[in-house]
Amino acid sequence: MRVAWFQGLPVTVRVPLIVAGLMVALGLVASHGVLTVLGRLQDARLREIARLHVQGLSVALGPLVPRQEVWEVYDLLDRARAAADGHRLLLTVVSDSEGRVLAATDPRRAPVGSGIAPFTLGATAPEAVRMTGDAVLRVAAPLLYQDREVGRIVTELDVADFLAERSRVRFWLLIGNAGATALLGLAGWLVVARLLRPLGDLVEAMGGKTGVPQAIPEARMPRGDPGLMRLFATYNAMAAAAEARAEAERRLAARERFVSLGRLASSLAHEINNPLGGLMNAADTILSYPDRPEVVRQSAGLIQRGLAHLRDVSRAILDQHRLDRSDQPLRPEDFEDLRLLFGPEAASRGQVLDWRIGADAAALGCHPAAPVRQIVLNLLLNAGAAAGQSGHVALRVVSDAEGLHLSVADSGPGLAADDLARLLASGPLPPGGGVGLRLVHDLVKGLGGTVRHMRDAHRTVIDVCLPAGGAGHA
Amino acid sequence: MRPTRRTLLCSPLALAAATLPAAAAAPFRFALTPVFLDNDAAVLTALRAAMEDGLAGGVDLVQRRTYQEITGALLDGSVDAAWTCGYPFLQHRDTLTVLGVPVWRGRPLYQSYLIAAPDDPATGLADLAGGIHAFSDPDSNSGFLVTASDLARMGRTPDTHFSRFIFTYGHRNVVRAVAGGLVRSGSVDGYVWETLAEAEPDLTVRTRVVARSEWMGFPPFVARTDRLEEPGVRACRDTLLNIGQTAAGREALRLLRLDGVGPAEPGLYDGIARRMAEIGRSR
Repeated sequence: MRVAWFQGLPVTVRVPLIVAGLMVALGLVASHGVLTVLGRLQDARLREIARLHVQGLSVALGPLVPRQEVWEVYDLLDRARAAADGHRLLLTVVSDSEGRVLAATDPRRAPVGSGIAPFTLGATAPEAVRMTGDAVLRVAAPLLYQDREVGRIVTELDVADFLAERSRVRFWLLIGNAGATALLGLAGWLVVARLLRPLGDLVEAMGGKTGVPQAIPEARMPRGDPGLMRLFATYNAMAAAAEARAEAERRLAARERFVSLGRLASSLAHEINNPLGGLMNAADTILSYPDRPEVVRQSAGLIQRGLAHLRDVSRAILDQHRLDRSDQPLRPEDFEDLRLLFGPEAASRGQVLDWRIGADAAALGCHPAAPVRQIVLNLLLNAGAAAGQSGHVALRVVSDAEGLHLSVADSGPGLAADDLARLLASGPLPPGGGVGLRLVHDLVKGLGGTVRHMRDAHRTVIDVCLPAGGAGHA
Repeated sequence: MRPTRRTLLCSPLALAAATLPAAAAAPFRFALTPVFLDNDAAVLTALRAAMEDGLAGGVDLVQRRTYQEITGALLDGSVDAAWTCGYPFLQHRDTLTVLGVPVWRGRPLYQSYLIAAPDDPATGLADLAGGIHAFSDPDSNSGFLVTASDLARMGRTPDTHFSRFIFTYGHRNVVRAVAGGLVRSGSVDGYVWETLAEAEPDLTVRTRVVARSEWMGFPPFVARTDRLEEPGVRACRDTLLNIGQTAAGREALRLLRLDGVGPAEPGLYDGIARRMAEIGRSR
């Protein structure tokens, strides 16, 4: 989760953050090193203090302890304490070889004649003493005189100043390192952000806002960096190529509308030409029998029906031509127009057209007319071409909870791999072939719908599902 | 001024110089004891200056740790005179003679104090039984004899009365031992304790006087009886008895909190002698 959050940040933020984090880590490591060295120095100093203290006392007390010279031992300890200013040496206890206290700097804590054992608890040898975090450390050592142990010395050392020094150093290290890290982190941030700025420009140009790759303006080209300059130039060339390709596809799609009409031209010409023969005959009949009202009326009616048919055909062609400029909702009449346009094509091939519009006007009205008409016409043209002579073509339009289903079936041999790639995938167009199926794919995608292809032993079915209230038409 | 024959003949110092040129040239050796505020450099300097006013050959102040050492040096002639205690003087009264006795608070007398910690509930020597006790010196009147003779009156000895006792060889050390808690109680020279109370109140405030002895003869300046007529000893006696006449002497007296030095009255040390007798009877 956290990693995903971090990875979601722009690279121009992530890299400086990593740099700042590394500097913080470096600061922590350096601080730890300093504190470790300080600890070692303090331990060494402590050992030296303890060693000198014990050794010095051993030399002075050596002859006194075997003689049980209580006053002399006390006097020496007391003067040593006074000379040491009482800061470091809190308590020194000297016992005889039997472990009985002879004297201490604080006789009330360690009365003469009492046992020294309680004072040796937790005590270490002078050469092993080290900082433990306690403000008071105990050091115990044998009292040697003429190479024999005549007693023991226990000293309590006040190391609060060492602890305070360590705390001070830790505090100032923290402040200093935090300041230095913040400064270096900020500087690192700025430097890396500046270094990565061209990369940010590149990421933004690659579709940061619009999703469409944009060429990087000349003013933002990194002229100081030859490598990046080459990268940007290459990117700009690729962006220009992509734009050119998209433009070509747009033009092809625009042309496809005319192409689809063009593919209907011959059958539509027949559709216009056939009535024209009848109309000419009717006109001749009227001219030949102007005095026969029933003949004139019958011929006029024939002319009227022929002209109405011609009007419908021309209106359907005009509507299809104007599709890109129309923003009308889909109506049942749109499917009648399509049948008028495609019917003659199918008839010319002797094909059986199965035309079923099962969706009502309300269900159709949720969808834009123009793209749906283009989708259905392209699929019908494709199916008609695939079905061949005397084949079967079917259109089925139904509406359900999922949306509007437009199913076009044909009895042809099935779609080739390239045609399937055009219809179902968004990849580059395979070379050769038309763009009609790709236009279907793009229009369906623009409407938020899906395209499914099914093939069984006898027929090919392409099912387009457009969600009700889906994305607006492209 | 050029000395005349008359002045030379009349001057004792000149006579001594004529008869004992080598001895006259040697400094007068004067021994000090722990009665004195030991190791006080200012006092030593002032005392030396005061004595040198009357001792032309100079003064060599000799310091020893114990009364026994001082007495020994005095008897064997290592030193010419000494400021010692009444107890060792009485121990050698047939050999030693008092040159003069310091006058403190108008009298040549002082007391022995029994001291303990301020919070110690003891009201007398009997209450201090079982504790550790600090004596000054086994030859000190106030620092040993008084307490030992008091115990003798109780039928006891330091060994039986105290759990342990130590000698600190200095009255100031007795005060330090009690003040520091090393011992429960101590026997100390009352003059030293009172003087310390003025000079080092931080030390004496950590002690309390449990009991005071009767007034006894102040520690005297002594010399060997057989050397009393020696010029140096006579000059020393004169200097001491007239110490208040010179500026250096007055400075020394001021530092020592003494009024002056006077001759020994007969019977001055009878009190100490009685205590010595009590100790002798108990042994």
